[in-house]
This record gives sequence, structure tokens and C-alpha cells, in this order.
Amino acid sequence: MSTPLIELVDIEKHFGSVIALNGVSVSVNAGECHCLLGDNGAGKSTFIKTMAGVHQPTRGKIMLDGKQVVFSTARHAIDAGIATVYQDLAMIPLMSVTRNFWMGREPIRKVGPLRLIDFEHANQVTMDEMARMGIRLREPGQAVGTLSGGERQTVAIARSVYFGAKVLILDEPTSALGVRQTSNVLATIDKVRKKGIGVVFISHNVRHAMAVGDRFTVLNRGQTLGTAKRGEIKPEELQELMAGGQELATLEGSLGGTV
Amino acid sequence: MSQADTQTGSPNGGPPEEDVDERIREVSSLRKALVRPELGSICGAVLVFVFFFLIARDSGMFSPEGILNWSVVSAQFAIIAVGACLLMIAGEFDLSVGSMIGFSGIIIALFSVTLGYPMWLAIIIAFVVAMGIGWLNGYLVIRTGLPSFIVTLAFLYILRGLTIFIAIKTTNKTIIGGVRDAAEGDWLAAVFGGKIFKGLFVWLGDQGIISTFVAGNRAGEPVVDGIPMLIVWAIGLVIFGHILLTRTRFGNWIFAAGGDAQAARYTGVPVNRVKILMFMFTAFCATVFATCQVIEFGSAAADRGLLKEFEAIISVVIGGALLTGGYGSVVGAALGALIFGVVQQGLFFAGVESSLFRVFLGVILLLAVILNTYIRRTITGER
Amino acid sequence: MRRLIGCLLAGVFAVGSVVGLTVSAQAEGERFVLVSHAPDSDSWWNTIKNGLTLAGEHVGATVEYRNPPTGDIADMARIIEQAAASNPDGIITTLADADVLRGPIENAVAKGIPVIIINSGTPEQAADVGALMYVGQPEYDAGLAAGQRAKRDGIGSFLCVNHVVSNPVVGERCRGFADGLGVELGSSMIDSGQDPSEIKNKVKAYLAANPTTEAVLTLGPTSADPTIEALKENGMAGSLYFGTFDLGTEIVKGIKDGTIQWGIDQQPFLQAYLPVVVLANYKRYGVLPGNNINSGPGFVTKDALGKVEEFAGEYR
Repeated sequence: MSTPLIELVDIEKHFGSVIALNGVSVSVNAGECHCLLGDNGAGKSTFIKTMAGVHQPTRGKIMLDGKQVVFSTARHAIDAGIATVYQDLAMIPLMSVTRNFWMGREPIRKVGPLRLIDFEHANQVTMDEMARMGIRLREPGQAVGTLSGGERQTVAIARSVYFGAKVLILDEPTSALGVRQTSNVLATIDKVRKKGIGVVFISHNVRHAMAVGDRFTVLNRGQTLGTAKRGEIKPEELQELMAGGQELATLEGSLGGTV
Repeated sequence: MSQADTQTGSPNGGPPEEDVDERIREVSSLRKALVRPELGSICGAVLVFVFFFLIARDSGMFSPEGILNWSVVSAQFAIIAVGACLLMIAGEFDLSVGSMIGFSGIIIALFSVTLGYPMWLAIIIAFVVAMGIGWLNGYLVIRTGLPSFIVTLAFLYILRGLTIFIAIKTTNKTIIGGVRDAAEGDWLAAVFGGKIFKGLFVWLGDQGIISTFVAGNRAGEPVVDGIPMLIVWAIGLVIFGHILLTRTRFGNWIFAAGGDAQAARYTGVPVNRVKILMFMFTAFCATVFATCQVIEFGSAAADRGLLKEFEAIISVVIGGALLTGGYGSVVGAALGALIFGVVQQGLFFAGVESSLFRVFLGVILLLAVILNTYIRRTITGER
Repeated sequence: MRRLIGCLLAGVFAVGSVVGLTVSAQAEGERFVLVSHAPDSDSWWNTIKNGLTLAGEHVGATVEYRNPPTGDIADMARIIEQAAASNPDGIITTLADADVLRGPIENAVAKGIPVIIINSGTPEQAADVGALMYVGQPEYDAGLAAGQRAKRDGIGSFLCVNHVVSNPVVGERCRGFADGLGVELGSSMIDSGQDPSEIKNKVKAYLAANPTTEAVLTLGPTSADPTIEALKENGMAGSLYFGTFDLGTEIVKGIKDGTIQWGIDQQPFLQAYLPVVVLANYKRYGVLPGNNINSGPGFVTKDALGKVEEFAGEYR
């Protein structure tokens, strides 16, 4: 197996006396979807923020293409090709799709002494990239607020991919979506994976994870409970690992396996 | 859970081709052309002009001096509205604009008249000091995380108090006169207080197209002898603001900073720098206003600019900007200023009891905001 | 939503047409515009408004009263420019700040519009800008006369409650008063602002901090009314020597109950009424009095309150 795109080894993160992460190891390969599962408070957010350069690990190392790196800022990680799509902070609803798509990296066209945004190019690229993800926009000037939640996630994902993300971290992209929108987002993840990008898919919904995941890592109380490949583990087992004990198993029995 | 979601979610499933067709039919091109942030203010401006044309046609309101009169007043509003507009789109308020006008004016008069510096230096000092205070405003808002409403409210009082204090301490008066003499022949003063196209207006006067003075030492000169620089500044700032906002990368960042500062930060937009620069730009606009006024009237007074911050904000809101930031238009704000100026002066021309001005203003504000809310919902799909 | 907008639009047009009608109905005879520097909140100017209206009725002319809502003199300059653009038969205006107002007034005069300066300003300034005449009370002289009177009554120190610090002409009253007493003005003048409760508290605070103050001088009802309240609350009413400029309902009551020793009446009624009469006759027959008109000062004391009381706040 080739070198992982990114590998985090024995990451520990302490906030004062609180130990948020206590030895977490995860690696992401090119073209795979690595699902990170865990209940609320398991340390998922802290972990992806560490991967995205927002937090610096207290102990442990981060390997990028086999070489050790230190992300001192979020910008640093973004430049290294680690892109994060946050659950509800992905888009600015009042702005057009194009403006959102290019936010922070607007293409420039010089008109005399003026440096203006090259809207023709920007609109064209936005339409093309969105079409590639399976979304036909009415027009690129359409406000993001008029898009559905799934479409917004897709704009954010398309944006990261276009700007050269090698690793794409998706923070609970499906948790606020309906069934149909969820399936659209999962389809988008599949398209991204086929481009050779490593996807980190954070969720606490086992069904969504099973739908696209290649490997699954379960976090509980700041620790890795193990990583399993697709086909090596059943959904019920994952569910049980996430809950970290017996209680849910009994509860699940009484609910008829629907959780 | 999943059932409820299916019902409320937008119907974007099914075969993609059908999906596209269905959406294109929804939006007529007329409606698309109409639905812009400026629409409310365009309608308002047309309405206001029709209204005054009907009731004040013969009052001199549309004579050259009449037009100049309401244009100058509108230009004053427009100058501060451009700054307030960009700042509001960036998600912040500045309530210290009015106090800043009084403060900058006193600074100019103090340095040029009382301390005897050359006028151009006094003007530059005023701009530097004002923009420094603008920076401080922004820095405090960013650092403390307090609402800009509160921070700039504090500066509304601080600046007004300082202005009166400085004026009284140095000159024993709250009005410093003699600026006109100090500005005589100064190159920078002419940029703020001069007039352009003088020859054209003299010619128009000689041709009898516009009337001339009949008495006094200006007999024979045209009643309107040029376009004041105040109007030139207003037009210049509106064009600058419009291009900056809609056509440049920085403009996109202004929208982003006001729309959702956190999301903007995640994509690498330097939100803090954008906001602080907008505070400085607002202070710059207030100082342009103050300088034009001081040079034109030849004196600075500590109570100048009272309530101007609200007049700027009202213009911006009439122009379609959203109070919570992230949405708006400089052209709209300029039209808002035009409406404001025309209504204020027009009511005098119409001979309406001047206390009714506020009633009219309130009605127009309400109308504009209702219309703008409707437009914005159409654009953004808010419900 | 649309219906709501429709209703509001209809409302605007309805108001507009009513206003339009009244304007055209009044448009006969001469049209005179009076521009003051007073903010909307200054109640003293009601007398001017009433005098103006009455004069309009008496001579059969249309009269309009205009003022900058916040009292900003720069805004007032625009109003004078606007008034000149509407080609009235005469403009009556105050000259609160000659630097600012000179240009617009001179332009109006150059357009051939007769101008009369009232109230604020000096006769010299009025002549300087090309006005026909000045109708008012020379402020410094009035203050001086009041100061001399107070000195005769044995006063040696005072507090001047100035609610229009921005208007240097009104400040001259304090200066004259100080000179009449023969003391330095110094910190005796406080900037009270326009808000009644603010004024009241500032006066109380000053008197508490300077208990040896022998007299208080207020510059109009805006500062006098809250000062009366302040003296009643701190128990100095009647014992502290209290003089005021201008009259108003509360001031008249104060004079009557002994809180106020005297009020200086500049008779604002005349400042509005006489210019309209002068302008109308100048326009019709070309006649003009040869001199400025002093509408004041007149001291109003407890003994001469009959008519004053009857018309206080309306014509007095």
C-alpha cells in the first residue's frame, strides 16, 4: 500500500487539565473515504481541528506524504491541501454562488490601473464545477440562500476540490439534511473520492457512513477504538463501539434496532 | 425525522434535466431585471420626483438654483452614506459619524486659523487624526468583540465632548471663524471648496439660459456659478464605492465579512482588516463632509453634524442595505441620499409646514424598508 | 405585502394632494419666508411663529416659517439658499453665525430679494450683508443693562445657564452681564445643553459646588424653566437672585411668585410682526423706515404682569 496522504500518529490534545484527545491515530489514503465516527463529546471536532491546523497537538506527529509537518495556522493547513467543510459555516446565504465559490481567492482581471474580479471566468468555472458535481444552477448570480442544504454542502465541496484540496474534511455534512439531500451529498463524496482525493467523513450516523466509507475509525472519550475496513465490520458493531458500552445494546434491543 | 425532512426539503431530486427546465420557467426575465437591491430606492426616487413635480413645479424647485440647492444637500448625505453603506455591508455600524464631522471641522479650523498652519497641512492633519480614530473604533470593536453600536456610541459622546472642550480651551468660543481667509489660494482647500465648470455657467448666464444676479457686487453673474466640489466628491465617492464593492476582490470580502464573519475567516478572508479599513473609510467620508463644509462656510462649529449618523444610516437603509450586514448597494445608498435631500428641501419648496418633514421621512423610510425586505426575500429565498 | 405597499402609497399621495391644495389656496399676495436658527425643540420661537402668522393675516400676505430641525447653522444656510431659489418677495432671517450665513444672504440680496435680519446678529452685521434693516435686541447691550441693574441690587457673582453654547451671539448676553457687574465671566457660564432634566441637574450641581453664587442668569425659557425647578428643589427659590432673558409661561409664573426678580423681554412678537409689515409696505409702496428697530430690552417685573400673563407663550 502506498504512503497515506496524511497520517496522524498518537495525537494528544490537552486543554488545561482536560484531556480532549488521548492518543488518536488516523491515516487517509488517496481516493478513499475514511469515516470518523463517534458520539457527541468523543473528540471528533477537536481531532479534525487539529488536522485542519486550528489546534496544535500537545503530543504526537502529523505526517504529510510521509514527511512530518507542523501546522501552525489554519492557513498553513489549507495551503498544504487540507480543506475543511464545516457543517453550518460553509456558505454565506446572501451572496451569490460565484462569490461564495471564489471567496478569498477571487480571480483578477486588470482593466487599466484597476484590478477587478474576472466575473466571466469566475461564473464559467463555477457553473462547470457545479455541473461536474451534478448540480445545475439557474444562474451563477443566484444567492446561496436559495439553494437547499445539500446543494450548499456541494458548493462548499466543489470549491475545495477546485482549489486543489488533497484531503477533504467534511464535518457532519449530512446531519441536518433530509433523505434525498443526504443521498446527493453522499453521491458527491463518491465523485470526489474517484478524483483521487482523500475524504475524511465525520458523522455519528452509522448508516450514512456505511454508504460511502472505505475505512471506519471510532472515537470514544478521546481515544481510538480501532480502525476497520469496509466489509470487516457490521453496522451494529460500529454503533456499539460508538456508544462505548453495553447500555445502548440493551436500549437498541428494546427499540428494535432502529437507532 | 426523515419523513419530515423529505416534506420540507426543496424538490431537487429526480432526473437532472427536468429539474433545470422546471427552474428556468419559474423566473421571468423582467422580474430578474427588477429584483435588485436598488429597486426600492429607484422606485422611491421616481415617486418623490413625480410628487414634487406635481405640487412644487412653480416654486423654483426645478430652476437652476433650486436644483443646485437640493443637489448639494443630497450630495452631503451621499458622502457620508457611502461610508456608512460599505461599513454596514461589512456588518458594522458607526454612530460617531456626526461627531466626527464636528471634530474634523474644529481640527481644521484650529490648525489653520488658531495655530496658523497652512490650510493644506491642517486638512491633512484632520484626515490623519480622523482616520486614526476610525482605526481605533474598528480595533476596539474587533478586540473587545462588543457590538460596534456600543463602541461607536461611546465615541459619539467622546468626540462631541472633546470637540467642544478643545474649541473652548483654545479659543473661548465654540465657533472658529476666519477659515475662508486661511483657505484663500490654498491648493488643497480648492479641492474641497472650489467649483468646476464656472465658464460654462457664465456662458449660460450670458445667454439668458439661467438667470443672473440683479443687485449688489455680483450683479450680472449667473445665480449658479459652477458645480461645487461637494457634488463632485459625492459622485466620485459613489463611483469608487460602487466599483470597490461589486467589482473587486476587496468588495467580495466586504460582503463576506458582513454576511458571515466566521465562514469568511474559514476561507481565508482577512475579516478583521476589512472591518477596520471600513471604519477608517467611514471616518474619511465624514472628514470629506466636514472639510467641504468648513471651507464653504468659512467657519467650524462644535455642534456641526448633529444627528448626521442617523441621516447616513437612513439613506443606506432606504437604499436597500440590510441592517445586519452582508447585503446592500452603494448606488442604492446614493439614491437614498437623493431621496432624503429632495424630500427635505422639497417640502420647503412646497411650502409644507416644516415640522411635517419628519412625518414624510418616516413614511418613506417605512415604505422603502418594506419594499426592500420583499425584494431581498425574493433574491435570497428567505422565508 | 403588496397590498400594504399599495395602501401606504395611496396614503402618501393623499397627504400630498391635501398639502398641495392648501398651498395653492394661500398663494395670493406677497410671499415672505422667515428662517430661524432654532431647533424644533426650542419653544420660545412659538411667539415668533404666532407673530408671523398674525402679521400675514393683517397685511394679506403668505408667510412661511422655516428652521433647521437640529439647530445646525450649516443646515440653516441651505434653507436660506432654498428660500432664495423659491423667489419669495422677502426673506426674514436671523444672523446666528455671520461666517456661515453671509454667503447665502448676500446671494439672496443680489438676486433682488429684500432681506431683514431679526433677533440674532448686530445692526452692523445686518448692514454688512446688505439687509434692509435689523429688528431685535442688541444682545451685549441688553446683558450690560441687566448686569448694571443687578449690581445696583448688590450682586457680585453669578451663574449663566447657556443652553445654546453654539450661538456666540446669545453668549454675548452673559458677557454683557458680567461686564455690567464688573466681574470676569470665567467659568460662570455653563453649557447646559437642551434637555430639561440635564439642565436642572447641572444647575443644582453648580450651585452645590459654588454655594457663594449670588445670582443666576438664564438665557431663555429653555434654560429658565428647568432652573426654576432646580431652585425649588434645592430650596433656593426666592432667596437666590434670579434674572432671565425672554418670557414664557413658567417664567411669568416665576416672576409672579417671586422666584424670578425680572425677565428681560426682547418682545419677539415685534421681531416677526414688524418685518412682515415693513416688507409688505416696502414692496407695495416703496416706503421704508430710516433706521433699525430695537424690539427690546424691556424689564418685566412683578408689577407689570397683566398683559404679559394673558399672552405669555403666545404673543409675549
